[in-house]
Amino acid sequence: MELGASVLENISLAGDVAHIPDKLFGKFVMSACQGVLFEKHRDAVSDNPAFKDVDKATMKAAYSGLVNLLLEAAKHDTTEQNLSTLLEECKYTTERIKEFNKIFLAQKSHIQLLLGKVGSSFPHIVDIDWRLDYYMKNNHMEKVNAAVYLISLKTEVPGEAELRDIQFSCSLEQLQDLVGKLRDATKCLEKIAQV
Amino acid sequence: MLLAFDDSHKEHLSFLVDLDPEVLNEFGRISMNFIRKGTNPKVFQGAAQKLGVPVETVQHGVEGLMYLLTESCKYMLSEIDFQDSVMTLGFSEETRATLLALYLDNQREIRDILQEMSMDLPHYRDLEWRFDMQLSSRSLRHQMAPSILLRLVTEDEGERSTTIMETDPVNLVHMTRVLESALQEMKSGYCRRIARNIK
Repeated sequence: MELGASVLENISLAGDVAHIPDKLFGKFVMSACQGVLFEKHRDAVSDNPAFKDVDKATMKAAYSGLVNLLLEAAKHDTTEQNLSTLLEECKYTTERIKEFNKIFLAQKSHIQLLLGKVGSSFPHIVDIDWRLDYYMKNNHMEKVNAAVYLISLKTEVPGEAELRDIQFSCSLEQLQDLVGKLRDATKCLEKIAQV
Repeated sequence: MLLAFDDSHKEHLSFLVDLDPEVLNEFGRISMNFIRKGTNPKVFQGAAQKLGVPVETVQHGVEGLMYLLTESCKYMLSEIDFQDSVMTLGFSEETRATLLALYLDNQREIRDILQEMSMDLPHYRDLEWRFDMQLSSRSLRHQMAPSILLRLVTEDEGERSTTIMETDPVNLVHMTRVLESALQEMKSGYCRRIARNIK
Protein backbone atom coordinates (compact mmCIF):
# COMPACT_ATOMS: atom_id res chain seq x y z
CA MET A 1 0.00 0.00 0.00
CA GLU A 2 1.43 3.35 -1.00
CA LEU A 3 -0.09 6.65 -0.03
CA GLY A 4 0.78 10.09 -1.37
CA ALA A 5 2.39 12.78 0.75
CA SER A 6 -0.77 14.87 1.01
CA VAL A 7 -2.80 11.87 2.11
CA LEU A 8 -0.23 11.03 4.79
CA GLU A 9 -0.39 14.64 5.94
CA ASN A 10 -4.16 14.43 6.27
CA ILE A 11 -3.88 11.18 8.20
CA SER A 12 -1.42 12.92 10.55
CA LEU A 13 -3.95 15.71 11.09
CA ALA A 14 -6.51 13.18 12.30
CA GLY A 15 -3.99 11.81 14.79
CA ASP A 16 -2.97 15.21 16.13
CA VAL A 17 -4.32 15.87 19.65
CA ALA A 18 -4.30 19.61 18.91
CA HIS A 19 -7.00 19.12 16.25
CA ILE A 20 -8.95 16.02 17.29
CA PRO A 21 -9.06 15.55 21.07
CA ASP A 22 -8.59 12.02 22.45
CA LYS A 23 -12.20 11.60 23.50
CA LEU A 24 -13.43 12.41 19.99
CA PHE A 25 -10.91 10.28 18.08
CA GLY A 26 -12.80 6.99 18.37
CA LYS A 27 -16.02 8.64 17.28
CA PHE A 28 -14.20 10.27 14.37
CA VAL A 29 -12.80 6.97 13.06
CA MET A 30 -16.20 5.32 13.53
CA SER A 31 -17.85 8.11 11.53
CA ALA A 32 -15.37 7.63 8.72
CA CYS A 33 -16.16 3.89 8.63
CA GLN A 34 -19.88 4.56 8.62
CA GLY A 35 -19.43 7.18 5.94
CA VAL A 36 -17.71 4.63 3.71
CA LEU A 37 -20.30 1.94 4.37
CA PHE A 38 -23.54 3.91 4.24
CA GLU A 39 -24.39 6.64 1.87
CA LYS A 40 -26.71 8.39 4.33
CA HIS A 41 -23.88 8.76 6.87
CA ARG A 42 -21.56 10.39 4.40
CA ASP A 43 -21.90 13.89 5.89
CA ALA A 44 -22.47 12.75 9.46
CA VAL A 45 -19.35 14.48 10.81
CA SER A 46 -20.26 17.96 9.68
CA ASP A 47 -23.72 17.72 11.28
CA ASN A 48 -22.56 16.09 14.50
CA PRO A 49 -22.61 18.61 17.43
CA ALA A 50 -19.78 16.68 19.15
CA PHE A 51 -17.36 18.00 16.52
CA LYS A 52 -18.54 21.63 16.64
CA ASP A 53 -15.32 22.85 18.30
CA VAL A 54 -13.07 21.36 15.62
CA ASP A 55 -11.97 23.67 12.82
CA LYS A 56 -14.06 22.79 9.74
CA ALA A 57 -11.24 22.86 7.18
CA THR A 58 -8.95 20.75 9.35
CA MET A 59 -11.75 18.29 10.02
CA LYS A 60 -12.46 17.95 6.33
CA ALA A 61 -8.81 17.23 5.55
CA ALA A 62 -8.48 14.80 8.45
CA TYR A 63 -11.69 13.02 7.47
CA SER A 64 -10.56 12.61 3.87
CA GLY A 65 -7.23 11.26 5.11
CA LEU A 66 -8.94 8.64 7.24
CA VAL A 67 -11.36 7.61 4.51
CA ASN A 68 -8.44 7.22 2.14
CA LEU A 69 -6.59 5.09 4.63
CA LEU A 70 -9.61 2.90 5.37
CA LEU A 71 -10.28 2.25 1.71
CA GLU A 72 -6.68 1.57 0.73
CA ALA A 73 -6.07 -0.66 3.76
CA ALA A 74 -9.23 -2.67 2.98
CA LYS A 75 -8.36 -2.85 -0.70
CA HIS A 76 -4.88 -4.27 -0.03
CA ASP A 77 -5.95 -6.24 3.02
CA THR A 78 -3.13 -4.57 4.99
CA THR A 79 -2.00 -6.39 8.13
CA GLU A 80 -2.42 -4.88 11.58
CA GLN A 81 1.33 -4.65 11.91
CA ASN A 82 1.81 -2.70 8.69
CA LEU A 83 -1.02 -0.39 9.63
CA SER A 84 0.56 0.28 13.00
CA THR A 85 3.89 1.08 11.38
CA LEU A 86 2.22 3.52 9.01
CA LEU A 87 0.30 5.24 11.81
CA GLU A 88 3.47 5.47 13.92
CA GLU A 89 5.11 7.29 11.04
CA CYS A 90 2.16 9.68 11.11
CA LYS A 91 2.99 10.32 14.79
CA TYR A 92 0.00 8.51 16.28
CA THR A 93 0.17 7.57 19.96
CA THR A 94 0.04 3.89 20.89
CA GLU A 95 -3.48 4.30 22.30
CA ARG A 96 -4.76 5.89 19.12
CA ILE A 97 -3.17 3.19 16.97
CA LYS A 98 -4.86 0.55 19.10
CA GLU A 99 -8.19 2.31 18.92
CA PHE A 100 -7.95 2.80 15.16
CA ASN A 101 -7.09 -0.86 14.59
CA LYS A 102 -9.87 -2.04 16.87
CA ILE A 103 -12.52 -0.05 15.00
CA PHE A 104 -11.14 -0.64 11.53
CA LEU A 105 -10.55 -4.38 11.83
CA ALA A 106 -14.12 -4.87 13.02
CA GLN A 107 -15.40 -3.11 9.90
CA LYS A 108 -12.77 -4.30 7.41
CA SER A 109 -14.71 -7.26 6.06
CA HIS A 110 -17.77 -5.07 5.47
CA ILE A 111 -15.74 -2.51 3.57
CA GLN A 112 -14.14 -5.29 1.51
CA LEU A 113 -17.55 -6.68 0.68
CA LEU A 114 -18.54 -3.28 -0.61
CA LEU A 115 -15.34 -2.92 -2.64
CA GLY A 116 -15.85 -6.37 -4.11
CA LYS A 117 -19.15 -5.23 -5.56
CA VAL A 118 -17.52 -2.35 -7.41
CA GLY A 119 -16.54 -3.30 -10.91
CA SER A 120 -17.96 -4.94 -13.97
CA SER A 121 -19.48 -8.33 -14.38
CA PHE A 122 -21.75 -10.24 -16.72
CA PRO A 123 -25.41 -10.62 -15.80
CA HIS A 124 -25.33 -12.81 -12.73
CA ILE A 125 -27.86 -15.64 -12.54
CA VAL A 126 -29.57 -15.68 -9.16
CA ASP A 127 -32.65 -17.79 -9.81
CA ILE A 128 -34.48 -19.76 -12.42
CA ASP A 129 -38.17 -20.28 -13.18
CA TRP A 130 -39.68 -22.95 -15.35
CA ARG A 131 -43.04 -23.85 -16.73
CA LEU A 132 -44.06 -27.07 -18.45
CA ASP A 133 -46.44 -26.92 -21.41
CA TYR A 134 -47.79 -29.60 -23.67
CA TYR A 135 -47.70 -28.29 -27.23
CA MET A 136 -50.77 -29.77 -28.94
CA LYS A 137 -51.38 -28.04 -32.25
CA ASN A 138 -50.99 -24.82 -34.22
CA ASN A 139 -52.67 -23.26 -37.23
CA HIS A 140 -50.55 -25.32 -39.64
CA MET A 141 -50.40 -28.61 -37.81
CA GLU A 142 -52.41 -30.93 -35.61
CA LYS A 143 -50.94 -33.54 -33.30
CA VAL A 144 -47.67 -31.82 -32.56
CA ASN A 145 -47.94 -33.35 -29.07
CA ALA A 146 -44.63 -32.55 -27.45
CA ALA A 147 -43.54 -31.29 -24.08
CA VAL A 148 -42.18 -27.75 -24.09
CA TYR A 149 -40.42 -26.11 -21.19
CA LEU A 150 -40.35 -22.35 -20.85
CA ILE A 151 -37.29 -21.34 -18.91
CA SER A 152 -36.68 -17.94 -17.39
CA LEU A 153 -33.29 -17.09 -15.97
CA LYS A 154 -33.35 -14.29 -13.42
CA THR A 155 -30.18 -12.26 -13.65
CA GLU A 156 -28.77 -9.36 -11.71
CA VAL A 157 -27.20 -6.78 -13.97
CA PRO A 158 -24.63 -4.38 -12.46
CA GLY A 159 -26.12 -0.93 -12.11
CA GLU A 160 -29.74 -2.04 -12.50
CA ALA A 161 -32.16 -2.26 -9.60
CA GLU A 162 -34.51 -4.77 -11.22
CA LEU A 163 -33.76 -8.38 -12.07
CA ARG A 164 -33.55 -9.02 -15.78
CA ASP A 165 -35.21 -12.09 -17.30
CA ILE A 166 -33.62 -14.21 -20.01
CA GLN A 167 -36.34 -16.40 -21.50
CA PHE A 168 -36.23 -19.29 -23.89
CA SER A 169 -38.07 -22.51 -24.58
CA CYS A 170 -36.73 -26.00 -24.89
CA SER A 171 -37.98 -29.45 -25.72
CA LEU A 172 -37.56 -32.35 -23.33
CA GLU A 173 -34.39 -33.45 -25.13
CA GLN A 174 -32.94 -29.94 -25.12
CA LEU A 175 -33.62 -29.59 -21.41
CA GLN A 176 -31.92 -32.92 -20.80
CA ASP A 177 -28.92 -31.58 -22.69
CA LEU A 178 -28.94 -28.36 -20.67
CA VAL A 179 -29.25 -30.15 -17.32
CA GLY A 180 -26.53 -32.60 -18.33
CA LYS A 181 -24.13 -29.74 -18.97
CA LEU A 182 -25.00 -27.97 -15.72
CA ARG A 183 -24.50 -31.25 -13.88
CA ASP A 184 -21.04 -31.57 -15.44
CA ALA A 185 -20.19 -28.08 -14.26
CA THR A 186 -21.43 -28.87 -10.73
CA LYS A 187 -19.39 -32.07 -10.62
CA CYS A 188 -16.31 -30.20 -11.77
CA LEU A 189 -16.80 -27.72 -8.92
CA GLU A 190 -17.21 -30.50 -6.37
CA LYS A 191 -13.96 -32.07 -7.53
CA ILE A 192 -12.12 -28.78 -7.22
CA ALA A 193 -13.60 -28.21 -3.77
CA GLN A 194 -12.24 -31.56 -2.57
CA VAL A 195 -8.66 -30.85 -3.61
CA MET B 1 -60.82 -39.14 -39.48
CA LEU B 2 -61.62 -38.41 -43.12
CA LEU B 3 -60.75 -35.26 -45.00
CA ALA B 4 -63.72 -33.15 -46.00
CA PHE B 5 -63.27 -31.65 -49.47
CA ASP B 6 -65.12 -28.53 -50.50
CA ASP B 7 -66.65 -28.35 -53.97
CA SER B 8 -63.95 -26.30 -55.71
CA HIS B 9 -61.24 -28.58 -54.32
CA LYS B 10 -63.14 -31.62 -55.59
CA GLU B 11 -63.47 -30.02 -58.99
CA HIS B 12 -59.75 -29.19 -59.15
CA LEU B 13 -58.81 -32.73 -58.22
CA SER B 14 -61.24 -34.27 -60.69
CA PHE B 15 -58.75 -33.57 -63.48
CA LEU B 16 -56.26 -35.94 -61.79
CA VAL B 17 -58.71 -38.82 -61.57
CA ASP B 18 -58.35 -39.79 -65.22
CA LEU B 19 -54.57 -39.44 -65.50
CA ASP B 20 -52.15 -42.33 -65.99
CA PRO B 21 -50.30 -43.24 -62.81
CA GLU B 22 -47.09 -42.15 -64.52
CA VAL B 23 -48.41 -38.69 -65.30
CA LEU B 24 -49.92 -38.51 -61.83
CA ASN B 25 -46.51 -39.30 -60.41
CA GLU B 26 -45.07 -36.41 -62.40
CA PHE B 27 -47.77 -34.15 -60.95
CA GLY B 28 -46.81 -35.41 -57.51
CA ARG B 29 -43.17 -34.58 -58.12
CA ILE B 30 -44.08 -31.06 -59.27
CA SER B 31 -46.35 -30.57 -56.24
CA MET B 32 -43.59 -31.56 -53.83
CA ASN B 33 -41.17 -29.19 -55.53
CA PHE B 34 -43.68 -26.37 -55.18
CA ILE B 35 -44.29 -27.20 -51.51
CA ARG B 36 -40.54 -27.01 -50.98
CA LYS B 37 -39.68 -23.94 -53.04
CA GLY B 38 -42.89 -22.13 -53.98
CA THR B 39 -44.79 -22.25 -57.28
CA ASN B 40 -43.34 -21.65 -60.72
CA PRO B 41 -46.04 -20.85 -63.36
CA LYS B 42 -43.73 -21.75 -66.27
CA VAL B 43 -44.02 -25.41 -65.36
CA PHE B 44 -47.82 -25.25 -65.84
CA GLN B 45 -47.48 -24.05 -69.42
CA GLY B 46 -45.09 -26.83 -70.41
CA ALA B 47 -47.29 -29.51 -68.87
CA ALA B 48 -50.48 -28.05 -70.39
CA GLN B 49 -48.95 -28.10 -73.89
CA LYS B 50 -47.84 -31.72 -73.52
CA LEU B 51 -51.22 -32.87 -72.24
CA GLY B 52 -53.20 -30.61 -74.58
CA VAL B 53 -55.34 -29.07 -71.82
CA PRO B 54 -55.77 -25.46 -70.63
CA VAL B 55 -53.05 -24.08 -68.39
CA GLU B 56 -55.62 -23.37 -65.72
CA THR B 57 -56.64 -26.99 -65.45
CA VAL B 58 -53.05 -28.06 -64.86
CA GLN B 59 -52.55 -25.30 -62.32
CA HIS B 60 -55.70 -26.29 -60.43
CA GLY B 61 -54.68 -29.93 -60.53
CA VAL B 62 -51.25 -29.26 -59.04
CA GLU B 63 -52.62 -26.85 -56.44
CA GLY B 64 -55.33 -29.32 -55.50
CA LEU B 65 -52.75 -32.02 -55.02
CA MET B 66 -50.55 -29.71 -52.91
CA TYR B 67 -53.53 -28.88 -50.73
CA LEU B 68 -54.46 -32.56 -50.40
CA LEU B 69 -50.94 -33.44 -49.27
CA THR B 70 -50.55 -30.58 -46.80
CA GLU B 71 -54.00 -31.10 -45.27
CA SER B 72 -53.38 -34.83 -44.88
CA CYS B 73 -50.08 -34.07 -43.16
CA LYS B 74 -51.66 -31.39 -41.02
CA TYR B 75 -54.06 -33.96 -39.54
CA MET B 76 -51.51 -36.80 -39.71
CA LEU B 77 -53.98 -39.03 -41.54
CA SER B 78 -53.38 -42.73 -41.14
CA GLU B 79 -52.82 -44.86 -44.23
CA ILE B 80 -56.41 -46.12 -44.17
CA ASP B 81 -57.95 -42.70 -43.57
CA PHE B 82 -55.97 -41.26 -46.45
CA GLN B 83 -57.10 -43.99 -48.83
CA ASP B 84 -60.71 -43.67 -47.71
CA SER B 85 -60.61 -39.90 -48.12
CA VAL B 86 -59.23 -40.19 -51.65
CA MET B 87 -61.70 -42.94 -52.55
CA THR B 88 -64.60 -40.52 -52.21
CA LEU B 89 -63.07 -38.52 -55.07
CA GLY B 90 -63.35 -41.42 -57.49
CA PHE B 91 -59.70 -42.41 -57.94
CA SER B 92 -59.06 -45.92 -59.24
CA GLU B 93 -57.21 -48.45 -57.11
CA GLU B 94 -54.02 -47.95 -59.09
CA THR B 95 -53.99 -44.16 -58.86
CA ARG B 96 -54.97 -44.42 -55.18
CA ALA B 97 -51.86 -46.50 -54.58
CA THR B 98 -49.78 -43.88 -56.40
CA LEU B 99 -51.21 -41.10 -54.24
CA LEU B 100 -50.73 -43.11 -51.06
CA ALA B 101 -47.10 -43.78 -51.90
CA LEU B 102 -46.65 -40.08 -52.61
CA TYR B 103 -48.23 -39.19 -49.26
CA LEU B 104 -46.25 -41.71 -47.21
CA ASP B 105 -42.93 -40.89 -48.89
CA ASN B 106 -43.25 -37.20 -48.26
CA GLN B 107 -45.20 -37.05 -45.00
CA ARG B 108 -42.12 -36.45 -42.85
CA GLU B 109 -40.75 -33.73 -45.08
CA ILE B 110 -44.06 -31.89 -45.31
CA ARG B 111 -44.47 -32.07 -41.51
CA ASP B 112 -41.00 -30.57 -41.17
CA ILE B 113 -41.88 -27.79 -43.60
CA LEU B 114 -45.13 -27.10 -41.70
CA GLN B 115 -43.17 -27.13 -38.45
CA GLU B 116 -40.81 -24.50 -39.84
CA MET B 117 -43.75 -22.29 -40.76
CA SER B 118 -45.30 -22.65 -37.32
CA MET B 119 -45.07 -20.02 -34.66
CA ASP B 120 -41.82 -20.46 -32.81
CA LEU B 121 -40.35 -19.26 -29.55
CA PRO B 122 -36.69 -18.47 -28.97
CA HIS B 123 -35.37 -21.90 -28.11
CA TYR B 124 -32.32 -23.47 -26.57
CA ARG B 125 -29.46 -24.51 -28.87
CA ASP B 126 -26.37 -24.91 -26.79
CA LEU B 127 -24.69 -24.10 -23.52
CA GLU B 128 -21.02 -23.79 -22.81
CA TRP B 129 -19.49 -23.20 -19.43
CA ARG B 130 -16.16 -22.44 -17.92
CA PHE B 131 -14.91 -22.11 -14.41
CA ASP B 132 -12.97 -19.02 -13.31
CA MET B 133 -11.58 -17.74 -10.07
CA GLN B 134 -11.67 -14.01 -9.59
CA LEU B 135 -8.42 -13.03 -7.90
CA SER B 136 -8.29 -9.28 -7.94
CA SER B 137 -9.95 -6.14 -9.19
CA ARG B 138 -9.16 -2.45 -9.35
CA SER B 139 -11.03 -1.81 -6.11
CA LEU B 140 -10.17 -4.96 -4.18
CA ARG B 141 -7.02 -7.10 -4.22
CA HIS B 142 -6.62 -10.57 -2.74
CA GLN B 143 -10.00 -11.96 -3.72
CA MET B 144 -10.97 -15.59 -4.01
CA ALA B 145 -14.33 -15.60 -5.74
CA PRO B 146 -15.22 -18.66 -7.83
CA SER B 147 -17.40 -17.84 -10.80
CA ILE B 148 -18.94 -19.92 -13.54
CA LEU B 149 -19.25 -18.23 -16.91
CA LEU B 150 -22.03 -19.50 -19.13
CA ARG B 151 -22.56 -18.96 -22.83
CA LEU B 152 -26.11 -19.68 -23.82
CA VAL B 153 -26.95 -20.02 -27.51
CA THR B 154 -30.61 -19.62 -28.40
CA GLU B 155 -32.29 -19.66 -31.79
CA ASP B 156 -35.29 -17.70 -32.94
CA GLU B 157 -36.67 -17.94 -36.48
CA GLY B 158 -33.39 -19.44 -37.63
CA GLU B 159 -31.32 -16.68 -36.12
CA ARG B 160 -28.92 -17.57 -33.37
CA SER B 161 -28.05 -15.31 -30.53
CA THR B 162 -25.67 -15.76 -27.65
CA THR B 163 -25.91 -14.52 -24.10
CA ILE B 164 -22.98 -14.46 -21.72
CA MET B 165 -23.85 -14.81 -18.07
CA GLU B 166 -22.11 -15.74 -14.88
CA THR B 167 -23.09 -17.34 -11.65
CA ASP B 168 -21.61 -18.57 -8.40
CA PRO B 169 -21.36 -22.17 -7.16
CA VAL B 170 -24.37 -21.91 -4.83
CA ASN B 171 -26.63 -20.63 -7.58
CA LEU B 172 -25.27 -23.17 -10.05
CA VAL B 173 -26.20 -26.02 -7.74
CA HIS B 174 -29.59 -24.42 -7.10
CA MET B 175 -30.22 -23.97 -10.81
CA THR B 176 -29.26 -27.57 -11.58
CA ARG B 177 -31.60 -28.89 -8.86
CA VAL B 178 -34.53 -26.76 -10.01
CA LEU B 179 -34.14 -27.92 -13.61
CA GLU B 180 -33.72 -31.53 -12.56
CA SER B 181 -37.03 -31.33 -10.76
CA ALA B 182 -38.54 -29.79 -13.91
CA LEU B 183 -37.36 -32.82 -15.89
CA GLN B 184 -38.77 -35.17 -13.25
CA GLU B 185 -42.15 -33.49 -13.54
CA MET B 186 -42.63 -34.75 -17.09
CA LYS B 187 -42.18 -38.30 -15.75
CA SER B 188 -44.80 -37.80 -13.04
CA GLY B 189 -48.00 -39.81 -13.19
CA TYR B 190 -50.09 -36.72 -13.79
CA CYS B 191 -48.13 -35.50 -16.83
CA ARG B 192 -47.84 -38.97 -18.30
CA ARG B 193 -51.57 -39.51 -17.96
CA ILE B 194 -52.36 -36.23 -19.70
CA ALA B 195 -49.86 -36.90 -22.49
CA ARG B 196 -51.28 -40.38 -23.01
CA ASN B 197 -54.82 -39.08 -23.26
CA ILE B 198 -54.10 -36.30 -25.75
CA LYS B 199 -54.28 -37.96 -29.08
